[in-house]
Amino acid sequence: MDFDFTPEEQAFADKVDKWLVDNHDPVVMDPTRENFTQLADTPERRAFMKKLAAQRWLGMSWPKEYGGQEIEGVYEYILNEALAKHSAPQIGKGVGIIGKTLIRHGSDFLKKEFLPKILNAEVEFAVGYSEPQAGSDAANMQLKADKVEGGWNLNGQKIWTTSAHFADWYWVGARTDQDASKHTGLSLFLIPMKDKGLEVVSLPTIGKDTTNQVFFNDVFVPDEYMVGTPGMGFQYISEALDLERFTMFTLSPSTERARLLIEWAKEAKRDDRQIKDDPNVRRLIARIVTDQAVAKGLSVRFVCAARKGGKPPTIQSSQYKLFATALSQRVCKDALDIQGAAGQIREGQDEGPIRGRFEGAYRATVVETIGGGSSEIQKNIIARRHLGLPKNF
Amino acid sequence: MNLDFSEEQQMITDMARAMFEEHSDMDAVRKLEDDPKGYSDGLWKQMAESGLLGLTIPAEHGGGGQSLLEAALVYEELGRALASVPHFVSAIMSGGMLTEAGNDAQKGAWLPKIATGEAILTPAWLEPDRGYGPVGVQLAAKADGDGFVLNGTKQHVYFASSADRLIVLARTDAGIDLFLVDPKAGGVEMRQILSQSADAQYRVTFSNVKVSADDRISAAGSGWATFETAMYDGIVLLAAQAVGGANKALDITADYCKIRTQFDKPLGAFQALAHYLADASTRIDGGRVLVHEAAWSRANGRSIRRLAPMAKLFCCETYADATRMCEQLWGGVGFTLEYDVQLYFRRSKQLQLSWWDTPYLEELVAVDVLDS
Ligand SMILES: Cc1cc2nc3c(=O)[nH]c(=O)nc-3n(C[C@H](O)[C@H](O)[C@H](O)COP(=O)(O)OP(=O)(O)OC[C@H]3O[C@@H](n4cnc5c(N)ncnc54)[C@H](O)[C@@H]3O)c2cc1C
Ligand SMILES: Cc1cc2nc3c(=O)[nH]c(=O)nc-3n(C[C@H](O)[C@H](O)[C@H](O)COP(=O)(O)OP(=O)(O)OC[C@H]3O[C@@H](n4cnc5c(N)ncnc54)[C@H](O)[C@@H]3O)c2cc1C
Repeated sequence: MDFDFTPEEQAFADKVDKWLVDNHDPVVMDPTRENFTQLADTPERRAFMKKLAAQRWLGMSWPKEYGGQEIEGVYEYILNEALAKHSAPQIGKGVGIIGKTLIRHGSDFLKKEFLPKILNAEVEFAVGYSEPQAGSDAANMQLKADKVEGGWNLNGQKIWTTSAHFADWYWVGARTDQDASKHTGLSLFLIPMKDKGLEVVSLPTIGKDTTNQVFFNDVFVPDEYMVGTPGMGFQYISEALDLERFTMFTLSPSTERARLLIEWAKEAKRDDRQIKDDPNVRRLIARIVTDQAVAKGLSVRFVCAARKGGKPPTIQSSQYKLFATALSQRVCKDALDIQGAAGQIREGQDEGPIRGRFEGAYRATVVETIGGGSSEIQKNIIARRHLGLPKNF
Repeated sequence: MNLDFSEEQQMITDMARAMFEEHSDMDAVRKLEDDPKGYSDGLWKQMAESGLLGLTIPAEHGGGGQSLLEAALVYEELGRALASVPHFVSAIMSGGMLTEAGNDAQKGAWLPKIATGEAILTPAWLEPDRGYGPVGVQLAAKADGDGFVLNGTKQHVYFASSADRLIVLARTDAGIDLFLVDPKAGGVEMRQILSQSADAQYRVTFSNVKVSADDRISAAGSGWATFETAMYDGIVLLAAQAVGGANKALDITADYCKIRTQFDKPLGAFQALAHYLADASTRIDGGRVLVHEAAWSRANGRSIRRLAPMAKLFCCETYADATRMCEQLWGGVGFTLEYDVQLYFRRSKQLQLSWWDTPYLEELVAVDVLDS
């Protein structure tokens, strides 16, 4: 047992940390602001991703034949946590989800076309699984793909496609076999986002991000742009979701928020008395740091299990996501309770404590227990696959 | 980073589990409820022979010299089995205090015997209507000639009736001191107090009890620091015990939910129940990593001023919450004495309230986070 990084891992963590300090960019890295996706389509962010690519830090765990370094996923974990700690953008869907799935299941053609671009941060993806009737019930996708000469013709609708308004390629699940069962009739496609048959309609959210609805009107996709075997889409998506749950929900943003809260609470006063001396504040903060330590344990547990290779460790990933995202929300709620009336001042204004960071976070973190498989879906997974409870839900 | 056990650590776990399964099955646990002695000679002897009693006692004093991490593995198993033994009070708390601060004579006299189980020592710490911190220690030790005279009352003194020595926390002119007191000495009286978990604990009164200056552990006024150091290690092990108990209660409850049917379905097919279990399993697994991190940190010479109270706070609360939930899932039978789940339920709350409770632990964490 060893809770420390190995000397090599520690050296890498130090290197990344130093690099992020040296390459500090106030536009993409602002500690008073939630960082994960809201800067997604800016030129500054794209430039930052190119710099990360130039360090060869994208796709480190990929096999060497595809441009990776075949090193353990723990290095990607270290990178992701460091990025979050410095309020920098996350490495994103390309390397963690789409690249890894293409490496496992994609044709040579797709690998050649996409993998180098992903490694060089030249391509932005949007992920289209969800539909109005297929959220948690992802296998229920109805977007219809009809076989035509040389490819497929897609008609129907997606919803909740984040980044559809600026992405280059669309990673989409569609129903290719109307007669097969829910889980066996789906296939995965890659579609250029600028296809004239796609219509993107923005959906503003209570967080700062916009997400989108996407309508498909006779979108033709050539056969070469189907991923893997027809009918296997749901299996690929499930694997990709296991990866996403972890890659997209790093703990550091929440750790960083807790750190900011503690720093603020140590100094702040109300009625000329130090806020930190209020027994209720002391209690809330003791609980926040305790639960953060538990969440860290669950994430380390996932990383260590993932290191053994094979499929991503589902139980550990579900437990981590379930616990950490609920905590992330609770930290924001507790922070606003501690800040009182000033807590409501909208993010970005100087009058708000920590420039309203917790006001913004309070709204933004609501989606964490929903997206990427809701808490209830994680509980179903744990109940069935870990505790062996009957398959009735 | 690597959370795997070494082969040796795995062996300790397996050995402890097998031993407790054999010598502390639920019949044995039930037989010891409210028993004045509170442990069985059979298990005690087995633990001595296998080296578990002296596991953490330094090798030069006849122990195994193992770290808190190995001890945590044993305590998780002890928690699963609800094994009742004076190991915590004797080897961990008393052994810990003597190792930390005892003089050569005290170490030589007691540590080897603790390691073999020949002697049992237990701390006499808490007092009626007083708290967990240093102010709670008010039992008076007045200097008298070249010794001291003790007057006062202690409560929650575990296994006092079997003890060869009590380590009494007392207030002297210098502050708090620790005294090795023979429970058979004149003026010591003890009475068993029945507790929620039906363990063997005593109220001990001291009326003009004489102790010699040689029986003070370490320098005048150093008692609380010595006690606290042992406690920080101790609470990590109690957290491990809580993880073991909670996990076992969850296991038996999940199994019950697979076989008990209502409304033509197994209980586990009702999502309302399955989600309770999924939440509890997540907290238990998370608590276990925290315990390991605390124990590992201690074993590697790091401070555990924050990790240790966090571990006990989180794991004991998880144990109490999880077993209350389990009671709910067993329905009416869980409320009867006949079923085992209540054994875990009662002990979990007792563990949470003992050896620093939730508010005290929260404050320890808050001091470390906010005041440093
Ligand atoms: C801002 C945002 C960005 C997103 N980005 C993307 C994206 O880029 N690409 C993409 O494909 N999707 C995206 N999503 C969609 C996201 O994955 C879904 O919202 C999520 O899976 C939940 O689906 P739903 O919204 O249809 O809710 P529903 O499935 O309708 O769920 C509603 C409630 O019912 C519960 N529930 C549902 N089924 C069960 C069950 N079997 N047992 C118990 N409870 C259940 C849920 O837990 C939830 O509490 C995004 C969503 C949001 C809000
Ligand atoms: C002290 C005591 C006194 C009692 N006195 C009387 C009495 O005088 N007369 C009398 O007739 N009865 C009496 N009862 C019985 C009592 O009404 C039952 O214990 C109670 O109805 C629960 O039934 P059960 O014990 O069979 O649990 P179960 O029905 O097996 O339930 C076990 C668990 O499963 C849950 N569960 C069951 N079905 C569902 C479902 N569909 N959805 C979700 N969760 C579900 C329950 O909520 C519970 O958490 C007494 C019980 C006790 C403990």
